[in-house]
Amino acid sequence: MVAKGQKRKLHREDEGGGSAWESQLQSVLDISMDKFHRDQALVEPCLLRSVLINNTLRQVQSEVRAQVESLSAVKTKNQIGLLPEPSFPRSSPSAEHTPLFSLNNENMEDDFMAWTSEEDFSLSSAISAILKDLDTVIDASQGPCASQRAPLSSVENLTQYQSGLRTERMSDMASSIKTEAMCPGCPQDVALDKLLLDIDTSVFEPEVNLLQGFSVTADDLAKYLPSLSKSASASSSSSLVSHGQATWEIQEIEHVMDILMRTYPQS
Amino acid sequence: MMAGVGGGNDFQWCFSQVKGAIDEDVAEADIISTVEFNYSGELLATGDKGGRVVIFQREQESKNRQVSRGEYNVYSTFQSHEPEFDYLKSLEIEEKINKIRWLPQQNAAHFLLSANDKTIKLWKISERDKRAEGYNLKDEDGRLRDPFRITTLRVPVLMPMDLMVEASPRRIFANAHTYHINSISVNSDYETYLSADDLRINLWHLEITDRSFNIVDIKPANMEELTEVITAAECHPHQCNVFVYSSSKGTIRLCDMRAAALCDRHSKFFEEPEDPSSRSFFSEIISSISDVKFSHSGRYMMTRDYLSVKVWDLNMENRPVETYQVHEYLRSKLCSLYENDCIFDKFECCWNGSDSAIMTGSYNNFFRMFDRNTRRDITLEASRENSKPRAMLKPRKVCTGGKRKKDEISVDSLDFNKKILHTAWHPKENVIAVAATNNLYIFQDKMN
Repeated sequence: MVAKGQKRKLHREDEGGGSAWESQLQSVLDISMDKFHRDQALVEPCLLRSVLINNTLRQVQSEVRAQVESLSAVKTKNQIGLLPEPSFPRSSPSAEHTPLFSLNNENMEDDFMAWTSEEDFSLSSAISAILKDLDTVIDASQGPCASQRAPLSSVENLTQYQSGLRTERMSDMASSIKTEAMCPGCPQDVALDKLLLDIDTSVFEPEVNLLQGFSVTADDLAKYLPSLSKSASASSSSSLVSHGQATWEIQEIEHVMDILMRTYPQS
Repeated sequence: MMAGVGGGNDFQWCFSQVKGAIDEDVAEADIISTVEFNYSGELLATGDKGGRVVIFQREQESKNRQVSRGEYNVYSTFQSHEPEFDYLKSLEIEEKINKIRWLPQQNAAHFLLSANDKTIKLWKISERDKRAEGYNLKDEDGRLRDPFRITTLRVPVLMPMDLMVEASPRRIFANAHTYHINSISVNSDYETYLSADDLRINLWHLEITDRSFNIVDIKPANMEELTEVITAAECHPHQCNVFVYSSSKGTIRLCDMRAAALCDRHSKFFEEPEDPSSRSFFSEIISSISDVKFSHSGRYMMTRDYLSVKVWDLNMENRPVETYQVHEYLRSKLCSLYENDCIFDKFECCWNGSDSAIMTGSYNNFFRMFDRNTRRDITLEASRENSKPRAMLKPRKVCTGGKRKKDEISVDSLDFNKKILHTAWHPKENVIAVAATNNLYIFQDKMN
């Protein structure tokens, strides 16, 4: 609990771009998803409106990706010891996507220096995972389908892919965010609640080694992240994180999950 | 600064008339959805959500009354479109009139095109002030006469009668649009016109209703790849082979129909580079163009996006020559405006007759005019409070921060339900028509 308290204290001190960005991102996401769902209920939603909302959702998605990737990039550089000061990269994967919010570089630096590298790694991994699931939602909903009655095809793939998601995510956590979980002809129900339940269950299992199922072996990780293995206390080398740290990381992920849970409240 | 905007001398805008119900409860069907002067300015047509068209005619100026201009009175009212049901798709087709465009007058009758989401109709509005009397086969009240009782033949004579204005549908152009029609535009050849929906533009001949040419089609093979739609289209005022269409991404494409039968490849592409410092989640939505209008000269075109009006020189594609901020104070409120759907409002814009001024609407029943020569702008309000005949309109100002001065209104006090989406400017004089929900305001300048 101490870690959580410290974490919150840090956020209170640092009123900078991080929380503001999160809050606006969450607002836009909330509103866009709400509109998307309302339009789904209509027989013939306005095509212009649907396209604009859909493009906004995609933009949100790409911005979050850019943030996560820059977080990972900075963290990796820190851990390897390449750059003394992490600079928030202004470039993003796609040339046309510039970061929307000019995060205070100093704040970012303070954040990174304050967090342990294990936290960053797990946090960014968790965010990647959540983003992957978000991708599934958005990609399933992108674009109007041929029938004018549902200009944006509903999130039809989710139900079918729910079971596949968990395995996919766990095995792919370290990789960059991939999309395209398209599945034509899937059931219509948007099962976001079930999706989130799925994520919840997996990350909150206290005994589970969070890195279990990684395609990267423990030795590889130890090679590239020397600080991880050093800080692991009283545990075998095969388990990269101690139980205590796993709990702490779970709490970090819980924080991130809180954000998303607020976004997608379970009915 | 009391000087008005209107080009040339200083004008002062005055209230002239207001049409429509005074009730606070506005019937949905009465909401005005389009306003258009005809080529001479003698007639002013409005369309509403109930599918009705009301045409006002300017009364002839009396020589005795030197001060006043002619007033507009109801000339004709007719039901243009009815609600329909598409049984195949189980969809209701709204009767709301999206656009009215007048045809140039070629005889005593007037012609206009009116369009709802799916169908365009050509209406003939004609006057009848004489009727024939003295028929042989029927009585004056219309009853048929017994032929055996007819002993003499007479020639019917035309007698004057009270003026009757008849509107009759002469052509119905249907079944050509899968998506919702957003624009119609009469070509300068006076033989053809175009109609545009979200994904396609069709070219029609005014005489032929059973077929049209598809000249633009941006529908992707996979609809899931759709990221851009057509928002407006217009024919060039002089070059009958040229037209433009705008998109939801803030771009305008100019096409030449001589180049190919299908004008999917543009001749010119107008887009202003995005300012990276002002980028936000809403950048694309607010860049979506809601209206495009050529100047009367044909040299410029004007586009309206959510926050601004831009004037483009047709010879310069990379940026507009003039940009006017309509309500920049809304930029910090975009998230709320996104939430309450106001960000999707489609404002129109119009030129004055000499292309020296432009006008567009805003919220709180405000509308804005910009003088292109003097760069002066003015904000006026269409409200019943200023509705005394020839009452001068007082310029309004929105307080954007700091201490609110007297007579200023703060951004948070603006009524976003009172929006002026449709305005029209008389082609020759400084008379403007402003549609405020279910009311039509007519203003004119004080001079003369």
